[in-house]
Amino acid sequence: MTKLLPILIFCAFPLGALAQNTKAFNPDISANFLGLFLSGTDISNDRLDVPHNGFSLQEAEIQFTADVDPYTKAKVLLAVGQEAGDPGFVIEPEDVFIETISLPHMILKAGKFKLALGRHNELHAHAFPFVDAPLIHQTLLGDEGINESGVSAAILIPAKWYSEIVLQAFSLSNETIFNSPKSRHSGGLVHIKNLWDLSSDLTLELGLSAAEGRNQLDRNSSIFGIDLTSKWRPEKGGKYHALIWSTEYLQANRRGFTEPTTAETTEKLGGVATWIQYQFAERWWLQLRYEYVGLPHPDVIPFQNKQSILLGFLPSEFSGFRMQYNRINTQGKNNVDHVVALQYNISIGVHPAHTY
Amino acid sequence: MRLLNSILIPVILSTFNLSAVSALAELNVVTTTTDLRAITNEVGQKFINVNSIAKGTQDPHFIEAKPSYMTKVSKADLLIAIGLDLEVGWLPSLIRGARNPKINQGQKGYLEVGTFVKPLEIPIGRISRADGDVHPFGNPHVTLDPIRTGEIALKIAERLGELDSANTAEYQKNALALQLRMQKKTKEWQQRIQAAGIKKAVTYHRTLTYFLDRFQIENPVILEPKPGIPPTSAHILKVIDTIKKDQISLILVENYFAPTVTEKIKQTIPSIRSATVPVAVDGAEGIATIDDLYENLVKGIVDQNNN
Repeated sequence: MTKLLPILIFCAFPLGALAQNTKAFNPDISANFLGLFLSGTDISNDRLDVPHNGFSLQEAEIQFTADVDPYTKAKVLLAVGQEAGDPGFVIEPEDVFIETISLPHMILKAGKFKLALGRHNELHAHAFPFVDAPLIHQTLLGDEGINESGVSAAILIPAKWYSEIVLQAFSLSNETIFNSPKSRHSGGLVHIKNLWDLSSDLTLELGLSAAEGRNQLDRNSSIFGIDLTSKWRPEKGGKYHALIWSTEYLQANRRGFTEPTTAETTEKLGGVATWIQYQFAERWWLQLRYEYVGLPHPDVIPFQNKQSILLGFLPSEFSGFRMQYNRINTQGKNNVDHVVALQYNISIGVHPAHTY
Repeated sequence: MRLLNSILIPVILSTFNLSAVSALAELNVVTTTTDLRAITNEVGQKFINVNSIAKGTQDPHFIEAKPSYMTKVSKADLLIAIGLDLEVGWLPSLIRGARNPKINQGQKGYLEVGTFVKPLEIPIGRISRADGDVHPFGNPHVTLDPIRTGEIALKIAERLGELDSANTAEYQKNALALQLRMQKKTKEWQQRIQAAGIKKAVTYHRTLTYFLDRFQIENPVILEPKPGIPPTSAHILKVIDTIKKDQISLILVENYFAPTVTEKIKQTIPSIRSATVPVAVDGAEGIATIDDLYENLVKGIVDQNNN
């Protein structure tokens, strides 16, 4: 009888219910991918380079999220993309972290994540407002932005408007600015975000960020950023019209950095990107961007300015098709560069919860 | 470390002080929609302070998770949502950003009412996004049925009573009064709609399913070819065919959708009547209560001058 008991209990339990209950604990799963066609005068024709002219899979992302227990939730976002110098693809853990859900007023986070340096650095490629990241972000933070292991505390400040302070400590393995040869070194970041509702249709967000850490020369690197975003979406007719104006300024001081051939200093470099996104119909967006790299810039690093225009068609919340043109003017270069990009952005799986 | 001492500690101390003060006040309730706000306000009356996140003029599927809403939710004792995936695109971001463990899912401070009132249009069999933005757990526009609104009021009263046991009887009394009034008015609205002889209507989205079902009005065709997909020319031709074949005399357009497509239909069928209707409390001027909302919908259906 004792041998039969477990079998009887198992048979008595409705298998359908068992399957259903087990499924309830599966993480929310979604995947996203970006297909890209590029044609540009300053873009490489070598398919080992990233980016290169022609067709490519810009990036694919697979995401899992679930509550761990009553205290924390976890997110795993793996990005698959081409690594420069290799035609194959590599997997990069862009977000792998746990964060608290049980603490009042703050979120504590531990793992690997995109640092809260301004607004754009926290975006994953599928959420970029344009096909490419701003030039100053690519130059100072690298192609993938700053994404490090560490801990984070995001604290809501009791104020009449939305105000948040984020404090982060992180590893220094970034390809460009924070990459100390000693693993025991870590960096620190402070980000303050404020958002005001100017009216029920209009918001204004101001963020200030500062980060510091050692670089590959084992000297200090620091970066400072300001981001300003205003969003307008009317309460009436808001399905069909919206206007977003964003500006981000970054300035870095990378102590000891020099130009390899001339040994001239390249320590201080800054730049700005400002863009407007206008939704002119339910599924259509027109966007303009202006960028300037060289505020300040050492003599040895040429300034650049870039103008972009983008037309986006989003048939649903899960798909988007975009066409972008870039015009880039580089100091000391006789010709102006032109780039045309066509991109599709596809999501499958659970419905995403959008951030503002 | 100096940074921690100078910024972090005062911030933490001040936030806990504020929590202690708010505990002495009336219950702070946040609802996702204005309909839920109206129902909750009537149930809780002077014992609660209630705010809605969505405005009555907005499509509740597509609310932006503004950080200022997080501030509201961070102070809430109770968050009331429809559920059934209506708020899936924005509420999780608000809950995360609010940093208020009281209103996490599964806590007493979080209530989803949709599943308690027999949802309609639960898809059968395999579903896919090829069917549009379908809701796997059923149509979420439950507050457009006055009878279900009465049931929702009772559920809200029960939860308010759990959070504030001293006033349980008051909440129950108010909810029952709302439910009885809705039952009585539903009979009157039923008579007016029957007298007008409207048996079928076209809508833009399946927003009015519960209202039309309650008053036995069929909804054989929708202006959207699939949920969340804007009307196409080919689909509008099909709609026109159905209107002619089924002799449909009324188009109801929820007022957060552009009414332009109805003008195209009216060019082909000039006799058809169309009404642009608010589908939430505060959805238009004069729609201040849940009673106003239903009354206005009834008028939109029966009033031959409403064009």
